[in-house]
Amino acid sequence: MDNNVILESERLRKEFGALVAVNDVSIKIRRNTIHSIIGPNGAGKTTFFNLLTNNVEPTAGRVIYKGRDITRLPLHRIAHLGIGRSFQITNIFPNLTVLENVRLACQSLGKHNFRLFNHYQHFRGDEERAGQVLRQVGLTERALTPARTLPHGDQRKLELGMILAPDPEMLLLDEPTAGMAAEVVPEMIDLIRQIHQTSHKTVLLVEHNMGLVMSISDCITVMHQGAVLAEGTPSEIAANKTVQSAYLGGLGWRVVDSGQ
Amino acid sequence: MKILRDHAILGAVAVFLIAFPFLIALLDGQSIGAMLAGQSGNSKFYQGLLIEIFILAIFAISYDLLFGITGLLSFGHAMFFSVGAYTAGIALKSLKLPLPETLVLVVFAGVAQALLFSIVLPRVKGITFALVTLGFASVFHIVIMSHELNDWAGGDVGLQNIPKPALLDPANQRLTFYFVALALMLLVYLFYRRFVDSPTGRVCSAIRENEHRAQMLGFNTFYFKLAALIVSGITAALGGALHALYQPIVSPTSASLGYTVNALLIILIGGVGTLSGALVGAAAFRLLQFYLDKLFGESSSFILGVVYVALVLFLPYGIIGTWRAKKLEWRAAWQARWRAWSAARPRGK
Repeated sequence: MDNNVILESERLRKEFGALVAVNDVSIKIRRNTIHSIIGPNGAGKTTFFNLLTNNVEPTAGRVIYKGRDITRLPLHRIAHLGIGRSFQITNIFPNLTVLENVRLACQSLGKHNFRLFNHYQHFRGDEERAGQVLRQVGLTERALTPARTLPHGDQRKLELGMILAPDPEMLLLDEPTAGMAAEVVPEMIDLIRQIHQTSHKTVLLVEHNMGLVMSISDCITVMHQGAVLAEGTPSEIAANKTVQSAYLGGLGWRVVDSGQ
Repeated sequence: MKILRDHAILGAVAVFLIAFPFLIALLDGQSIGAMLAGQSGNSKFYQGLLIEIFILAIFAISYDLLFGITGLLSFGHAMFFSVGAYTAGIALKSLKLPLPETLVLVVFAGVAQALLFSIVLPRVKGITFALVTLGFASVFHIVIMSHELNDWAGGDVGLQNIPKPALLDPANQRLTFYFVALALMLLVYLFYRRFVDSPTGRVCSAIRENEHRAQMLGFNTFYFKLAALIVSGITAALGGALHALYQPIVSPTSASLGYTVNALLIILIGGVGTLSGALVGAAAFRLLQFYLDKLFGESSSFILGVVYVALVLFLPYGIIGTWRAKKLEWRAAWQARWRAWSAARPRGK
């Protein structure tokens, strides 16, 4: 096995009735890279993502993480492997405070989950780590407000913080800028880039925002109708005639320009 | 000092409840000696009413842990209570066990039924879980009324003539019983407070908020829900045992849906997920029932229904929930009023 590959899918397939949402997709994600998956709506990007973390059970194929088959691993085991996953629709604990959202994420991999007679604040490490993470994502001032009262962009940052809290090796981000106001998107891009550079995490990204994808990715996989259409560096993808004609048309590159 | 400040209200309530039998005796003109000897009078009567409230509160708080904290809606919670009551009754009456062994048995019964409910936990969620638990409780309800178990459980009449331990006889030793029930309720409450603030309890709240996210963070949510079920099952079973010791009869209706709905109503009145709401709600529930019954007799349940609708309309978060949400607002309003009043007061007097 290639030691550089951290996560790979082997002919991963998902059928919903007659519809083949993901058609034998095999990709390799190398360590310490930012790898993006792009494609038009309905290309199967999110379904593919859900197959990787077993949120949806595949019809066929395998998912290999660091040489280990994780295809049908129970959901709660995924985090223990060092994989953090965010969702397209913000997925937080709405009525708990921002701090508590992150603190729980820190607690999850600790050894004191069943200490019934201790106050949670007895375990200082969790809260200290949570404070650190909140500083990193820039939510320190909102620490004690209920998560539901945050503006959407901050909720996305909070979710990123929850994923970062246990210090995973790999981040799977499903459209981290989805629904964000245009002016805060660059903040998110900087944040992801900064996380990648400072802690050498592998990032797998599903994104609609072409500017984001082109500017930060090391490698891009283009999906079309459930299958891989092309793969390569941003410049290779930009120059790829098949991608241009089949998916981007004349339109995509205007988006890139405005994103720069 | 910090403990006193943090638990000022709880401490005040506890002191009041300890003094309560004596206060009533004094108001009634009954001598403390006669009251201590267990002579009948208003004090003894109200002790009885409060014991019922304490038992209801224990039952309701165990429901709040499941529904209000962990987000598990169960329609079979009455079974948790009823199993405790029947286990205690049968152990004391048919097996002739002494009280300590009986209570150990009750705790085991509580754990056993929590495990039974947990079998379906990984498979069903939300309303389906509620219906499955209702199914369990209904089966228990029917089994306990069956003719075959007549000698043990007393059929549809219920379990009668349970021998009461001499020290805890509600007829002669009601004051002791009162203090035991009060102590158990307060202990359960304090333990629940700690449980909710423990790492385990925090995850239970997270499960209520968003179970899928909790799983993706790496929590095996099944074990946390199981922990909540077991704690809740033991508590409710102990409440049931107290019920069996106090009441002259354990009726099979204690396993019915109506009894679960009582717990639900209590925490709706008090405030879902607040824990203390279960205690306040139990008091409000039983006192309303008692006084409306006294005032209106037959038609009381109709008026009770109107009161519930009004409560849900005007206090949607229950008494404690609304209090917590509005506390600061009210305090500010009162302070403003106080300042206005003291400013308007003529000076120099």
